[in-house]
Amino acid sequence: MIKKILLVDDSPISRRMMKSCIPKDRGYEVFEAGDGLAGFEAYKEILPDVTFMDLTMPVMDGSESTEKIREFNPEAVVIVCTADIQIKSITNALGRGALMVMKKPASKETVEDALLKAEEHIG
Amino acid sequence: MDYCIDTISEEEKEILQEIMNIAFGKAAADLAEVINIFVVLSVPHIEILNAQDLPEYLKSQVSSYDRVSIVEQNFWGDFKGSAFLVFQASAGKELISLFGEGSEDFGSESIDALEKETLMEVGNILIGACVGKLSELLGDAVTYSPPRVVTENSTNDAIPVNIFESGSSAIVLKTVFCFNERNVNGFLFLVTSNDSILWLKKSLATFMEQYE
Repeated sequence: MIKKILLVDDSPISRRMMKSCIPKDRGYEVFEAGDGLAGFEAYKEILPDVTFMDLTMPVMDGSESTEKIREFNPEAVVIVCTADIQIKSITNALGRGALMVMKKPASKETVEDALLKAEEHIG
Repeated sequence: MDYCIDTISEEEKEILQEIMNIAFGKAAADLAEVINIFVVLSVPHIEILNAQDLPEYLKSQVSSYDRVSIVEQNFWGDFKGSAFLVFQASAGKELISLFGEGSEDFGSESIDALEKETLMEVGNILIGACVGKLSELLGDAVTYSPPRVVTENSTNDAIPVNIFESGSSAIVLKTVFCFNERNVNGFLFLVTSNDSILWLKKSLATFMEQYE
């Protein structure tokens, strides 16, 4: 069951957009980080059930951050949410351990689908 | 100081930056579908400038290039302005093979023509998809002038001096990119004048309403 969600994106606006798409009636605790490294550090501290991860970010990109999170916890559920929808970027993100890739801008529907998929994966 | 310089707030700049990010991501994916290339993206930047400072700003951004090739395209809608896709002048040769054409059999004149065509095609895809997606997200539809390629020995000669009326302000949306396999990098600048500011502010607010 999902309780804690971590949003990793360098854009505060993008985090706000994402946050607004997360259902409010399920009591999720939502945490935020502004780059891949901060996301990895936040992950270790918070241990979220689901992490939504941007790809193009300063300091550490989302692919590397995803890989580090998955090295730290091979069961971690990382969902990439990105504007970089090139096939190679998607393949790379999946290869580095992302459960799925969502394209930006997020919507209530795509976030709901992603959370459903995460729930199924967590079991 | 121009009276319009402060009319876009920090928050509106951030929204525009995110929309530009989404739009250029779509453009890169479109290009990657047409040619076998991977576009390394970076975080876009938004600048608000006085129009008379715009040519100097553009020159300073590409000052590391000794010779430049610029694909220029204008667009019209509620969102109107000019797009400048700037490469080092050598980029055309690097990119020719991506379109399945070898350069070995062409004389120098033909290579020049082929380089221009290649840059024009890349420009058409990147600018069209980026401006198109940006306009779509903001509820607009734009039309385009045919792209024009300018190759010059110096950035001073390549960048137009009077892009907008002096005294007005300009919004610059800049993204830096790199074609990984070809070691080619470049800039895309979208510039729009204060004619579009009121529409832009309203459209940014409408865009964010769905995320309230």
